[in-house]
Amino acid sequence: MKALVVDDSMTIRRIVIKALALVGIDETAEAADGVEALAALAGGSFDLILMDWNMPKKSGIETLKELRKQGNKTPVVMVTTEAEKSRVIEAIKSGANDYLIKPFSPDQLAAKVKNVVPVAAG
Amino acid sequence: MARVPAPDRSAAAREKSAYFEETLSAGVDVDVKYINPFLESIDNVFAMMLDLQPHRKDIQVSDGNTGGDAALTSLVGISGKLNGVVVMRFPTETALGLAGRMLDAAPSEIDHSVIDAISEIVNMVAGSAKSKFNSDPPLELGLPTVVEGREYKVRYPTKSVWLEVPFDSDAGEFSVEVTFAANGGTDL
Repeated sequence: MKALVVDDSMTIRRIVIKALALVGIDETAEAADGVEALAALAGGSFDLILMDWNMPKKSGIETLKELRKQGNKTPVVMVTTEAEKSRVIEAIKSGANDYLIKPFSPDQLAAKVKNVVPVAAG
Repeated sequence: MARVPAPDRSAAAREKSAYFEETLSAGVDVDVKYINPFLESIDNVFAMMLDLQPHRKDIQVSDGNTGGDAALTSLVGISGKLNGVVVMRFPTETALGLAGRMLDAAPSEIDHSVIDAISEIVNMVAGSAKSKFNSDPPLELGLPTVVEGREYKVRYPTKSVWLEVPFDSDAGEFSVEVTFAANGGTDL
């Protein structure tokens, strides 16, 4: 299983990748914004996307909407500081499969991942 | 509304801006409600991401001086029905300690990874706090900026009042400063 981790913070990408290992997802790629994410998705397929909301160049919500418009059905978990109910609703309506608010624990992220994809461990 | 004391700083740092002297002489009244969500968020972010329980000190009016050993200053803007800026200041040792906890590493100098980690801390603190204002539509969070250096002063716009809360923790001291004002008479 391969995951794409999209966040402009290298620190958060490290933390997310470490948490993914808890559920047996060791194959990961990284993108620092929506533009990089779309390029990565155009160049290969993924089983899961972890997506930040606030990023330079192209935000996570814009990227999500564009992906779904393209017909890309890869499960997306938004991982973001945007905690307002209206933001969560907007993300789900735009095609997000689940939503995780920062700050988060590795166990919380693992639980969200297990909600949207079949994982081997954890 | 609460009356807050002026910060106790070194003699050099007490070279205050015209704004600060004016503020003090006027005996400023500051609505402290805007800082409470940030204090709660610091507790939450530090516990969840850093396994730390920072201890807050007394709230005070900030004069904009870096003060102490602050070497990294991270800023992020919030806009919408409420406009403002959140600033967190970290001495070198604190920044290294916090970044080390987040990255599960032991950085020995301020490098890109440390700046990234510090930037993300203020991003999470500001993002977590803004949702507590229950604004509809939600407040907008800017992208964080990190300034590295010492012995500088942040020139705050006139008429803005900055509140500062120093903290201590097992990773060292740091502080948070905020200035906020409701937009167009909105009371959040």
